[in-house]
Amino acid sequence: MRMGGGSGSRSGPRTGPGGKDAKGGPRKKFFVRRRKVCKFCAEKIEYVDWKDIKLLQGFIPERGKILPRRISGTCALHQRKLQTAIKRARSIALLPYATD
Amino acid sequence: MRLYDIVVLVTPDLADDDATKVAGEYRKILVDGGATVVKEEPWGRRRLAFPIGRKREAHYTYWQVQSEPAAVAEAERRMGLSDQVLRHLAVRVDEDLKRQAKMTERLRKKAIKRPPRPPAAPVADAAANPPAAERSES
Repeated sequence: MRMGGGSGSRSGPRTGPGGKDAKGGPRKKFFVRRRKVCKFCAEKIEYVDWKDIKLLQGFIPERGKILPRRISGTCALHQRKLQTAIKRARSIALLPYATD
Repeated sequence: MRLYDIVVLVTPDLADDDATKVAGEYRKILVDGGATVVKEEPWGRRRLAFPIGRKREAHYTYWQVQSEPAAVAEAERRMGLSDQVLRHLAVRVDEDLKRQAKMTERLRKKAIKRPPRPPAAPVADAAANPPAAERSES
C-alpha cells in the first residue's frame, strides 16, 4: 500500500553536484590505508600487565615516548591502561623515560 | 585482604646472596604483617633502562602477595628508608585481575554457546575496479 502524494517525483530531476564527470581516467586516486586495530582488543587482553616488557616495548618508539593511539590504533580504553602500565614499568627502570 | 604486586630493586654493590638477604628482610616484614606470598620470582641482576644514582644495574625481586594494606605500607616505608633499595613499587592488582578473569570467563561461555562459525569468506575486492565499459570513451 502506497501513499499517493508525489512519491515518484523524488527520484526524477535531481540537480546539484554529482552529475559532473570524474576526470583523470582509470588512475587510482587513493592509496589503500590499512585499517588499524587495537592490539589488546584483537588479542582479548583486558589487563595490561606492567611486567610484560616485551608487550609494552612495542608501544615505545626509539625516543622512548609512548606511542600515540593515532598511530598505534589502540582503542581509548586500552590506551589508558597501556599508559599506566608503561608508567609503572618506567618507575622501576624497566623502561626508559627518554632515550638519547 | 588484597593482592599486591611488589618489586624491589636492591643495589648492585651487594653480592647476589646479600641482595637476596636484603630482599628477604622485606619479605619477612610482609609475612609478619600477616601476608601470604602467592608468587616469588627473583628476576636477578638486570640492566636498568636508565641510571639510578650512578648505577646501571640492580637486583630485582618480585613478589605477588595477599596482604592487608597496612603490611604493604609498612614494607614500602622501610624500603624508602633503606639506602640499599634503589626503587620499589607496590601495586594493588586484585581488581584488575578479577576483571580479566571475568572477561575470559565470558568469552569462554560465549564460545560454548555459539557453534563455531565457518571460516570467513575472502573480502570481495571486485568493487574497487570500475567496469571496463566506462573506460572506452576516447
